[in-house]
Amino acid sequence: MAGNASRSAAAVWAILRKECRTEWRTRWGLNAALLFAVTTLTAVSFAVGRMPDRPDVLSALLWIVLLFGALSSLAHAFVREVEGHTLTLLRLVASPLEIATGKFLFNVVFLLVIEAVTVPLFLALMGAPPPRWGTFIAVLLLGTLGLAASGTLTGALISQTRGRGALFAAVSLPLLLPVLAAAVSGTRAQWSGLDPGAPLNLLAAYALGVVAIGVLLVDHLWEE
Amino acid sequence: MIARVFLLLWIAAALVAAFLWAPLVPVLGATTRVFYFHFPAALVTCLALGWSMVHSALYLRTRDLAHDDHAAASAELGLLFCVVATVSGSMWAKAMWGAYWNWDPRETSIFFLLLLYGAYLALRASLDEPVRRARLAAVYSCIAFVAVPFLVFVVPRLYFSLHPDPLLNTRGKPDMDWRIMACAGAMLIGLTATFFWMLSLRVRLGRVERRRERSKDAPAVPAGGKS
Amino acid sequence: MNGNLVVLGVALLTWGLLFTYLVRLEKRIRDLEKP
Repeated sequence: MAGNASRSAAAVWAILRKECRTEWRTRWGLNAALLFAVTTLTAVSFAVGRMPDRPDVLSALLWIVLLFGALSSLAHAFVREVEGHTLTLLRLVASPLEIATGKFLFNVVFLLVIEAVTVPLFLALMGAPPPRWGTFIAVLLLGTLGLAASGTLTGALISQTRGRGALFAAVSLPLLLPVLAAAVSGTRAQWSGLDPGAPLNLLAAYALGVVAIGVLLVDHLWEE
Repeated sequence: MIARVFLLLWIAAALVAAFLWAPLVPVLGATTRVFYFHFPAALVTCLALGWSMVHSALYLRTRDLAHDDHAAASAELGLLFCVVATVSGSMWAKAMWGAYWNWDPRETSIFFLLLLYGAYLALRASLDEPVRRARLAAVYSCIAFVAVPFLVFVVPRLYFSLHPDPLLNTRGKPDMDWRIMACAGAMLIGLTATFFWMLSLRVRLGRVERRRERSKDAPAVPAGGKS
Repeated sequence: MNGNLVVLGVALLTWGLLFTYLVRLEKRIRDLEKP
């Protein structure tokens, strides 16, 4: 029993490493996502300037930038698989759950890398007040989990259709809106001195819910 | 046929009663009457959503394409009723508060449902192969099931707490004369019956079209062959 | 009162049209279903 679990964990780790290595080889997805986020950020900063006294607008803008970066990149992990025709091979050596978990962890790492670049830039360019780091990071992390979970599942679906980027955005949007709303609310709360408890709970509950339903449905994601 | 005629008369009677017999709500004035369309349409939208999701789950459990027919048909109809509910609600909001859209909790909820229906139908449209389409659409439907409570109940309140608008806080249950409730209830029953009728037609139509497509794909099969 | 009757008339007419459409559609489907 323990042998099974450690073998699964090894499989997930192997998939994660493979994803990271593949991505790093070309860095196409990473570059595209970073470019997208930085472009959006530049446009916003240029148009709006510094906003030290508007935590509501700042929170919204931050998460819009992050959301756009996520939308442009989350589908990529699966699309690359489909275009490389490697999914069949992968499915021969790993179970659907292992594949999905590996992809999910990759998406989390991917988003975190983008955030590591975008968030400091945002804070600096927009003249944001210093955040309450504990809460701020918590919102970022939980939001990232929610984005990655929804995006991984949607990506798995979309990669099997004819559609690509636009369809991914349309189909994943209803699933991403709760994350967006709660994350904006939480980020704003920590800047306004309000209690971030409710949004944080929401983010956690939603991420957990999506992961749970994903685990339940994972065997139906790929077939034939 | 008798049942259909009965339905025709039922809704006609409900409409007449709603416009000529039921009183107006003082706060709402003449716009009270939008309620008889808006309220049943919104409820039927939710019914359609639930029906679609249940059949999606059943499809994944049984792999019987009949469930997928129901999921798809009720999603299409649900979108239709959702548009009716959104538009009628928006017209009502304009008459009541002077703005077509306010992002108050109920408007936000119905808008999110619109997005969900649209996403589901867009996903279906991008797939040609029936079995794969059924499977992926069903998976999406089940994932959406997790998002729905958040979208319908939690997120709108979140927004509302960020933007409390004193102008809108009167939105609640206006005190309902029993005659109003009776007419609204009658319209609800009638509209639900109409929904199920349209659903059965849509499912049958889908099945018939599938049958014809299959017989078209097998032109070499002599007359004895049948799906 | 007058505007009220107009709206009622439109509503009844719309319902009548929808009903007729559905009945015709059902007939068409029934014909298609016969092998």
